[in-house]
Amino acid sequence: MSPPPPIVRVRRVEGAPVVAVRLWLQAGGRQEPISGQALVTGRMLTEGTRRRDWRRIAEEAEGKGMILQSSGNFESIGLSIDALAQDWELALEWAAELLLESTFPEDRCAWIARQAAAELESLTDQPEMKTAWAFLEQLYAPHPRSRPLHGSRESLLGLTPADCAGFLRRARAHGALAAVTGVIDEDAVGERLLQLLGGPPVDVERYPEPAAPAGLSERRVVATEAEDQAHLYAGHLTVPRQDPDYAALEVLAVILGSGAGLTGRIPARIREKEGLAYTAYAQTVAGSGLDRGRLVAYVGTSPATVEQAERGVAEEIARLVENGVEDAELEEARAYLLGREPFRRETARQWADLLIEAEEYGIPVDDFAHRKAELEALDRAAVEHAARRHIFPDELRFTVGMPGQSEALRNRQISVEANT
Amino acid sequence: MSRRPHVAALEAPASLKSLPGRLRLEQLENGLSVCLLANPQAPIVTTTLCYRAGTRDEPPGHGGAAHFLEHMMFKGSARFGPGEIDRLTQALGGSNNAFTSHDATVYYFNFAADRWTEALAIEADRMANLTLDAEHVGSERQVILEEIAMYESEPWDALEMAVHERLFAGHSYGRQVLGSRDELLATGPEDLRGFHRRFYRPDNAVLVVAGDIGDDEALAAVERTLGSLPAGAEPRRGFTPPVTLPASLERLERRKGEVARLLLALPAPHGSHPDHAPMRLAVTVLGGGRTSRLQHALVEDEQLCVWVTADLSESMDASMMTIAAEVVPGVEPARVEARLLELLEDLRRRPPGEEELERCRRIAAADWVFGHEKVHQQALSVGMALTLFDLEHLDLHLERLLAAGSGHLLEVADRYLRPERGAVMGWSLPKS
Repeated sequence: MSPPPPIVRVRRVEGAPVVAVRLWLQAGGRQEPISGQALVTGRMLTEGTRRRDWRRIAEEAEGKGMILQSSGNFESIGLSIDALAQDWELALEWAAELLLESTFPEDRCAWIARQAAAELESLTDQPEMKTAWAFLEQLYAPHPRSRPLHGSRESLLGLTPADCAGFLRRARAHGALAAVTGVIDEDAVGERLLQLLGGPPVDVERYPEPAAPAGLSERRVVATEAEDQAHLYAGHLTVPRQDPDYAALEVLAVILGSGAGLTGRIPARIREKEGLAYTAYAQTVAGSGLDRGRLVAYVGTSPATVEQAERGVAEEIARLVENGVEDAELEEARAYLLGREPFRRETARQWADLLIEAEEYGIPVDDFAHRKAELEALDRAAVEHAARRHIFPDELRFTVGMPGQSEALRNRQISVEANT
Repeated sequence: MSRRPHVAALEAPASLKSLPGRLRLEQLENGLSVCLLANPQAPIVTTTLCYRAGTRDEPPGHGGAAHFLEHMMFKGSARFGPGEIDRLTQALGGSNNAFTSHDATVYYFNFAADRWTEALAIEADRMANLTLDAEHVGSERQVILEEIAMYESEPWDALEMAVHERLFAGHSYGRQVLGSRDELLATGPEDLRGFHRRFYRPDNAVLVVAGDIGDDEALAAVERTLGSLPAGAEPRRGFTPPVTLPASLERLERRKGEVARLLLALPAPHGSHPDHAPMRLAVTVLGGGRTSRLQHALVEDEQLCVWVTADLSESMDASMMTIAAEVVPGVEPARVEARLLELLEDLRRRPPGEEELERCRRIAAADWVFGHEKVHQQALSVGMALTLFDLEHLDLHLERLLAAGSGHLLEVADRYLRPERGAVMGWSLPKS
């Protein structure tokens, strides 16, 4: 089938004399046949085209003071270019060249894959990250979100230029989103971008949807390289970005632990009242997008107090569902979410990302009036209803990262062995 | 006769070349420096209150006191009980935070333009009437001990702390901002009160109000809220450069994790030294962008490192240039180290030509523009410049950086980029 025509959003943003260009194809890690394929394909977009090799691309961009990045994530692959406003046309031309004329040179593909494999190893070395990945696996397996975006060392090192070219080709079937913002002439930019992205239709097939998440066992303990700190993650899956209860869940997230400073119930109890942690927070729609997001509470604490933290988190989540929210909490959360909006619209770069988000999920997040109406429509009953509908204290899953040598880990392992 | 007899306008440019907005610098009678940066790019206002007090000002035996006090500034004052600052911030739809460095402690609020003055009320109350309740001090100490554990568990943080300590051993910059466990246990409410009394006074502080403000109204609000607080800060220790620095390339090795990580730290000139800006350009030549010398050689061409960065701090007494890299598994760390030292030497032997320099100037200028798009970033830069240096520092630094030529660069490379004359090469090596 032919890819849908590109969706182009353009907006003049006064301020610094810059232009922000975003160009994304709507297929990513969630559809990739080989794990790590989207990440490497995205990164390869700046590694060579029919006209220029990676060196020339980098030299010419840096010579203009441009910030040029390409990447792949779970939902898309593409490019972002931040440039001085006077260079807007060049930025558009380069974005189109990189997306449409990439050649995936073999030597660069081998290096980018090797580099990603090394990054994966480094990230695994970091205790919090290692625990977070174990938690994601616990929640999402066998869905692609259950593993790192990087995939595995083996999958990365097996990737070829043909794999990247193939992924890019099929990603085009999912459609392109473009946003250009800054001190620009909107009409001229829109017209030029459509010229550059137009082309003969290509017969390509869309990727199938990924496997649904099922999750793993209820509790996991992983050994980490930490000196003397345990990492606790607790939660379960909630809703995708387009769910009608998304805004109510955002309010619940603020009440639970993602608002200003240490105001949420979980940081207030874990850090302010019990002094157990430096970092404690909670979210209800973390990672929510095309796929379901998650309720997640995180605490970094001493191995000796991890059980106390675990109890505190579970009790606060249960209390939220059982006793509901207070009027004052609801008003504060609403005010916080509304008050944040101007800070999401300050720069051309933020506007570009906002426009892409709006198109990606079909939600007018760029329209402040819509956002305001959506939040103001929420009353206590609606928020409590959303809590009962999407938050399940009995279904919480826990992942604990423990220092590999800690006594607490040894005790836990003994207890797990005794249970089995 | 002045319209505001108790406010003195300080000599300052009406605007900076390096930042957008209209500028006004005043001093209240109690000594508080007030900088108003009117920039209506969005309907928001950032207030930044910077105290000239950081780790370098701590009394002996109480390392970590400046940072401890920063935490306690959110734990209760006469009008705002524990946690109330955050609750009020949230109810007003804003955000807040604070940070402590060796040179200063900084508090900030971001609010919509129609409600920002609440930040002033909070700052005034905790400057004048901080509670420092013993029970809360004890509980917050525990939180900071967890913060220390967090940094010690992360491989890069742990390496950075160890290298920093070694490079500036004997100087207050060698002390950890968080302090040590023993020092924290020895620091109680009275010690914190003493630090607060000495330094948290209007005549030792700089307030920046930036964003969508009318400057007359903003100044009136500042005067009303903070103008009656008493002065009385103790004089701060002046410029105190490190007396002893490493005289050769010292090595430091830790075993952690499965990846080799390198951090080379070299002493560099303090932030207002004329060599600092050319050094920034040298750092860009080495590590700014994919075409920079280190990135090109170590990452893209020879593929020895997964990534490499070069950075330069900007401090009062002395700065530090750092080069950090993560080694590709299977590559011998010694090979990376030798190549890195060669590339530093190469900068002296083969200084950049005009084309390379011009590219680096553009990268540095773009970094500056993109790094100051937000009002919050503008407020922080102005606040830190006024706290540590002066307002002209921002323009001057950028001008010097963009004017530096190959000759300047060669001079600073010869003066500062010689690890064999004194530096710390820190390695975090795989356990296995």
